[in-house]
Amino acid sequence: MEDYPEELRTPPVALACLVGCPAVHGLITAHLHSQQPPINTIALPDFSKISVIPLKKPPRENSEPVGGIIRRDWLSKHRTRIPAVVAALFSSDNVYGDPAQWLQVCTDLENLKAVIRGRNIKLVVVVVVVTQSGHKDDTSEDRMTALRKRAELDAKNLIVFVPDDELELKQSLSRLWTAFTELANTYYRDEGRRIKTRLEKKNFSSMELNVRYCFKVAVYAEFRRDWAEALRLYEDAYHALREMVGTSTRLPPIQRLVEIKAIAEQLHFKMSTLLLHGGRVVEAIARLRQHIGNYRKLVGAPEVIFLHWEWLGRQYLVFAQLLETSSANVPNVQSMVSVPADKPTEWEYYPAYYYQLAASYLKEKKLCLEFALSMSENVGQIDGSAESVVASAYLGQFARLLEHDNTYVMQALTDDEYANHALAEGKRFQDSFEIIALLKRSFEAYSNSKAERMAAYCGLQMAKEYFSVSEFANAKQAFENVASLYRQEGWVLSLWEVLGYLRECSRGISSVKDFIEYSLEMAALPLTNNAVEPSFKDCGPAGPASLSQRAKIHEEALEVVRGESEENRDLKVNSDYPLYLEIDLVSPLRVVLLALVAFHQQTVKPGAPSLITISLRSQLPINVEIDQLEVQFNQSECNFIIGNGQKQNTAAISHVQPGRRVETAPDLVLATNKWLRLTYDIKSDQSGKLECMYVIARIGQHLTICCRAESPASMDDIPLWKFENLVETIPIKDPSLAFSGLKAIQVEEPDPQVDLTLGSTGSALVGEIFILPVTVASKGHAVYSGELKINLVDTRGGGLLSPREEEPFSSDNLHVELVDISWETHEDHSETRLDNIQKIQPSFGLISVPSLEEGNTWSCKLKIKWNRPKPIMVYVSLGYYPRKGEPSLQKVHVHKSLQIEGKTAVTISQKYMLPFRQDPLLLSKIKPVSDADQLPSLCLNESSMLIVSAKNCSEVPLRLLSMSIESEESNGACVIKPQHEEFKEPIVHMPGEEFKKVFTVMPKVNSTKLKIGTVSLKWQRDSRNFADDKSQVITKHRLPDVNIELPPLVVSLDCPPHAILGNPFTYSVRIQNRTELLQEIKYSLADSQSFMSSGSHSDTIYVLPRSAHTLRYMLLPLGLGPQQLPRVTMTSVRYSAGFQSSTASSIVFVYPSNPHFKASDILEIRKDSIAAD
Amino acid sequence: MIVCLAVVGHQNNPLYIQSFTEADDALKLHHIVHCSLDVVDERVNNPKKSGPTLNETFLGLLYPTENYKVYGYLTNTKVKFILVTTDLDVRDTDVRNFYRRFHAAYVDAVSNPFHVPGKKITSKSFAERVSTIVKSFGLSSSS
Repeated sequence: MEDYPEELRTPPVALACLVGCPAVHGLITAHLHSQQPPINTIALPDFSKISVIPLKKPPRENSEPVGGIIRRDWLSKHRTRIPAVVAALFSSDNVYGDPAQWLQVCTDLENLKAVIRGRNIKLVVVVVVVTQSGHKDDTSEDRMTALRKRAELDAKNLIVFVPDDELELKQSLSRLWTAFTELANTYYRDEGRRIKTRLEKKNFSSMELNVRYCFKVAVYAEFRRDWAEALRLYEDAYHALREMVGTSTRLPPIQRLVEIKAIAEQLHFKMSTLLLHGGRVVEAIARLRQHIGNYRKLVGAPEVIFLHWEWLGRQYLVFAQLLETSSANVPNVQSMVSVPADKPTEWEYYPAYYYQLAASYLKEKKLCLEFALSMSENVGQIDGSAESVVASAYLGQFARLLEHDNTYVMQALTDDEYANHALAEGKRFQDSFEIIALLKRSFEAYSNSKAERMAAYCGLQMAKEYFSVSEFANAKQAFENVASLYRQEGWVLSLWEVLGYLRECSRGISSVKDFIEYSLEMAALPLTNNAVEPSFKDCGPAGPASLSQRAKIHEEALEVVRGESEENRDLKVNSDYPLYLEIDLVSPLRVVLLALVAFHQQTVKPGAPSLITISLRSQLPINVEIDQLEVQFNQSECNFIIGNGQKQNTAAISHVQPGRRVETAPDLVLATNKWLRLTYDIKSDQSGKLECMYVIARIGQHLTICCRAESPASMDDIPLWKFENLVETIPIKDPSLAFSGLKAIQVEEPDPQVDLTLGSTGSALVGEIFILPVTVASKGHAVYSGELKINLVDTRGGGLLSPREEEPFSSDNLHVELVDISWETHEDHSETRLDNIQKIQPSFGLISVPSLEEGNTWSCKLKIKWNRPKPIMVYVSLGYYPRKGEPSLQKVHVHKSLQIEGKTAVTISQKYMLPFRQDPLLLSKIKPVSDADQLPSLCLNESSMLIVSAKNCSEVPLRLLSMSIESEESNGACVIKPQHEEFKEPIVHMPGEEFKKVFTVMPKVNSTKLKIGTVSLKWQRDSRNFADDKSQVITKHRLPDVNIELPPLVVSLDCPPHAILGNPFTYSVRIQNRTELLQEIKYSLADSQSFMSSGSHSDTIYVLPRSAHTLRYMLLPLGLGPQQLPRVTMTSVRYSAGFQSSTASSIVFVYPSNPHFKASDILEIRKDSIAAD
Repeated sequence: MIVCLAVVGHQNNPLYIQSFTEADDALKLHHIVHCSLDVVDERVNNPKKSGPTLNETFLGLLYPTENYKVYGYLTNTKVKFILVTTDLDVRDTDVRNFYRRFHAAYVDAVSNPFHVPGKKITSKSFAERVSTIVKSFGLSSSS
C-alpha cells in the first residue's frame, strides 16, 4: 500500500488558491486546514504567479487516438494544482487608495478572471483591512460595489477580512471557510456533472474514455464526500475496464494487459477503501473474491508470468493492510453453522489470511522470475537500454525516454523490450525477505488468535524461505517450532518433510549432533509403506517417505558416526569430537532407544541379591549393534557394564573404570520393535532407595547414547508409534512385572542386633506413678549415638493424650502422662540427666542412650502416671549406628510396644446408721420423695454412725496405711470421730475385698445440706519391696451432703443383749416427745410364738411435751436361737406417721442356759453384728 | 472431485488420510487438512449461543483456498472428518449426503472388534468402501 502515491491513499480534499496579501496566508491556510471538512490551499504571494494554474487544454477531437486510460498525473493535478476556488486578496489600502492603485486592482482581477474562466474555477474576493482607518464612507461603499461588479460576484463572496481584531478575525475566517466550501462543492459538482453528461450521452469514442470519465466523476464525487456516488462510479469504471480485456488493441498484448491490471488494481483499491471505511467488511471481502476471480486467469504471456503473480500477491497484501488499518470491527462470525459459500469464512476476516496468500503468490512470482531469468540469456545485454525505460504519462504504461535534440521524447516499447525491462526490474528485488516478512506477520497474527496450526503452516513456509536463502540458523529454529506441533499431533508425513529440512539445516551449520539426532528420529518414524507411492514422492529434501528411505537415512547417520561418510565431510565425529546424545522422557528420540528397567522385587535386604531386568527397544529400521551398555544407579557403586560378547576386543571397553563390575552378554543387537531383555543380579549394601538412573549405550567408538531409565509401570506410549497398529509386545517376560515393575527398589535397613525389652508388670493403678523398666541389651551390635523415643498413644484413638498445642498443659485434661525417665549411671546423677534428656512431654519422650559396647546392657525406667483409668500403648523405639564415626551409614531402628491397662485401685462408698434400737421420727422421710433425690438424713445432736468401705478393684493386694476424714465445714458444725487413723500395722487388702471403717458423726447445726467432708485413704502396693514415701498413693472420696433435722419423736427399744430360756426379762419401748406439743400415740403389740408376754396390748397414750413415756413388757422366752421379739406398732396421730421396729433390731438370741463369754469374744460378736447389718 | 479425505482423532492426529489425486501433492493436502483443524476448533469452542444448529454435526465450509474447498464434520465422539474438494461449486446437501455415508462407513470400521480405538484405521474394506463413496460424490446431483 505504501507503494501507492499519496493522492491515491488519502481521500481527496478540496483545493483553494489564495492570491495576494501574503501576510495573511498563514492565518487562512491554517484555519481552512483545521476545519471539517478541511480545505487545502495553494498560496500565491502576488498576481503574477497565477500562471501556475494550468490552462484549460483545447477540447479533444473525436478522431484523436486515445493514448491511455488514465493519465498518471491527473489525480495529483487536481489534488495539488487545480483549485476549486481562487480567492483574490486585496489590501483595503489598494481598494480605497488613489486611482492608480484602484486601477492596479482592477487589472489584477481581470487577469485572474481570464485564467480561471476556462476551468470554471470559482472566485472569491477578499478585502484585507490593513488598518482600522475607519473611512467607511460613501466613496468606500462605491468602491466595494464596483469591485463586486467587476468580479461578477454575489455579495456573500466579497468578504471583508479584518486580521487585527480577534472577534472580527474569527468571523472573517468562518465566513471565508463557508464561502470556500460552498463554492468548492459547486465547482466539483459542476465538473462532475459536465463529465457525467458525456457518459450519459455515450459521448465517447472509446472504451478507454468510458473508464476515464467514470473515474473522474468518481473522484469529483469523492471531493464532495459523496461516497456512495464515488463507489458506484468506481464500480462502473471497473466493469467497463473488465470489458476491455480482449477487446482493446491499442497496445501490444503484454503491455495492454499490464495497463488494464494496473488500472483495475487502483480502482479496486479505491473501492475496498471506501467499503472498509464505511464498515462494509463483508462486501469488501466479496468484492475482493470477485476481483481475484476476474483477473486470476489472465496470466498473460508466459515470459512475464511472474508479473501476474506479483500483481495477485499485491492485491492480497494491499487488502490485508487495508483490513488491518480499517477501524471496522469484524462482524460476529456465525459459528457451528455451515457457512454459505457466498459468505466469508472465519479466517477471511483476519488480515493474516491475506498476508499468507500474498506471501504464497510472491513466492510463486519468485519461482517464475527465476525460471524466466534462467531462460532469457540476453537480460544482461539489454540492461543498458532497459535503464532508459520509464513510466509514461499514462497509468500502467511504460515508454523509452529518448534524448533527441535536447528534448526528451517518449517512444513506445515493443513487448520484447518491455519483457526485458520487467525482468531487469525483477532482478533488483530480494523477494525472499519480503516473503519472510509477510509470513512472519501472518504467523504472529495467527498465533495471537490461537490458530496454532495455521501459524505452524506459515512458520513452515517461512522456514523454507529462510532455507532457500541459506539462513540455516533461522530456518532451523522455525522448523523446530513446527516440528514440535507435528510430533505432538502425529502428522508423520509433515514431520518427515520438516525433519528432512532440519537435517539439511544441521548440515548447513555443521552441527553434527543435530544432524545425527534428526537423522535417527527420521529413521525411526512410523512410515512403513514399502512401495513408493507417487503421492509421497515430493516430501522435502529427505526424499520420499518410505521404509527404504528410512533405512538409507539410518545408514547415512551411522556412516557419519563411524567417520566414513564421503559426502558429509563437514560433519566430523572422532575422538576429538565424540558424540553424546541424551534421551529423556520427553525427547523425540525415545523412538530411537527406549530403556525400561524393572527390579523383580520391591524390597531387598542389604547385601542380598536382587534381579534386575533391562529392556531396550528401538524403532530404527536396521538392526543396531551396541558395543557396550552401562547401567547407572543413584548408588554409584552398583553401576555395572554389559559388554558385547561378539565384540570383546573393541576399544569401547576402555571406558571401564577399574573395579567396576563388567558383565558380558552374548550379543547386544536391537532389532526393530523387538525387546532386548537383559537380566542381572544386583546387590546393595546401603539401605534406602536404589534407583536406576541411566542406561548408556555406546555404539562404535565415538557415539554414546545416554537414555534415562523408565519404569514399565509408568511408561508412556512412545510418540507417533502409538497411533500405529503394531503388535503389542511386553517389555519383560513376566507380564505382571511388565505392568507393575519399577526402576527403583527399597533396600531395607540391616537387621538390628540389639534387644529392647520393656519390663511389663501388669496393669497400672490410677494415681500411682507406674514404673516401666526399659532395657537395651546389645547382642552383636555396638550402640552409638543411640536415641530412645517413647510415645504414649491412646489405644482407643482420640486425642486425649495430646491435647491441642495451643491449650496449656494441665494435669486436669491429661488422662495419662509421662512424668519422668530415670536411669542409673556411674557418674554424677543430676549432671548426666541434664545432658542426656532431650525432651519429655506428657505423651512423648526422647532421650539419648550412652554408647554401648557389644554385650553390654543399659536400662532406664519410665515413670508414667494415670489420672484416669485408661488403656494405652507405649511405643519405644531405639535408633542407633552400629559403628562409630560413620554418619553416612544408615541408622538401625528397633521398635517395641506394650499395652498397659490403667485401673482404679480402690473404690470408696459410705453408709450412715443410727444408734442401735433407737429410731427418731424424721419428717423428711415421710414425704413422698423419690429415693434418688433424697439426701441421707441425720438427727440433730444425735450421734450417728458413718461406715466407710473401701473395695480393692485391682488385681494386686494393696496395703492400706491410713484413713482420715477432713471436714469441710468449719466451727464444729459436725463432730466426726476419729478424725484420722494411722493403722498401726498396715492392713493387707486382697483383690475384691472390702475394708470398712466406722466413724461417729454428730451434727450440731440444723441444715438441709451439711457438708460432711472428704475421705482420704492412703495405700501402696503390697508387693513393693522398696517402701519409700513416694510410692504411697492417696485416694480421696468426697462424702455426700446430708440433711440434718430435729426429730419430733424418738422411739428406742430396750432389751438385754441375750435371753436365757425360761428366764423372763424386761422389754421396754420408750417414746420421747421432743416437741412443745402434746403427742397422741396409738400403739399395739403383736404376739409372738416364741415369747410369752405381759403388758398393755394396745392403747392410745398421750405423751406430754418434752417428756417421755415408756411401755414395759415382761417377756418369757419359749424357743431357742435368734427369736423375733413381739413387735410393737405405733402411730403418731399428729404426724400421721406409723412406726414399726425393724426386724433386725427386734431379734434377740435365746440361750438354753447362761453362757460364759470372754471379753474379747464379746467385742468380736459386736463387730460381726455391725458388719452383718 | 474429492482430492483428500481425512479422519482426525482426539489429539488432532490423523487416523485415516487418503488423497485421491494422481499428482504428488499428498503433503500439500496434509497441510490443508491440518490447517483446517484450527477452524474446526474455533467453531466448536465458540459455539453460537442459540439456534437449532447446536447439535449439528456438519460444520460446513471451513475455509476456501484458491483451488480447494475444505468441509468439516464432527461426529458425536468428537472425531473430525475433513473433506478437500476441487469443485468450486459444491452444494451443501451433496456434502451432507457424502458425510452421512462416510460416517456410516467409519462407524462400521471402528466397530470391528479387532480395531483398537485411537489407532489408525488400516482396514482395506473401509478403504474400498470409502473410495466407492468418493467416486459417487456429486454424481447424484448431476444426474
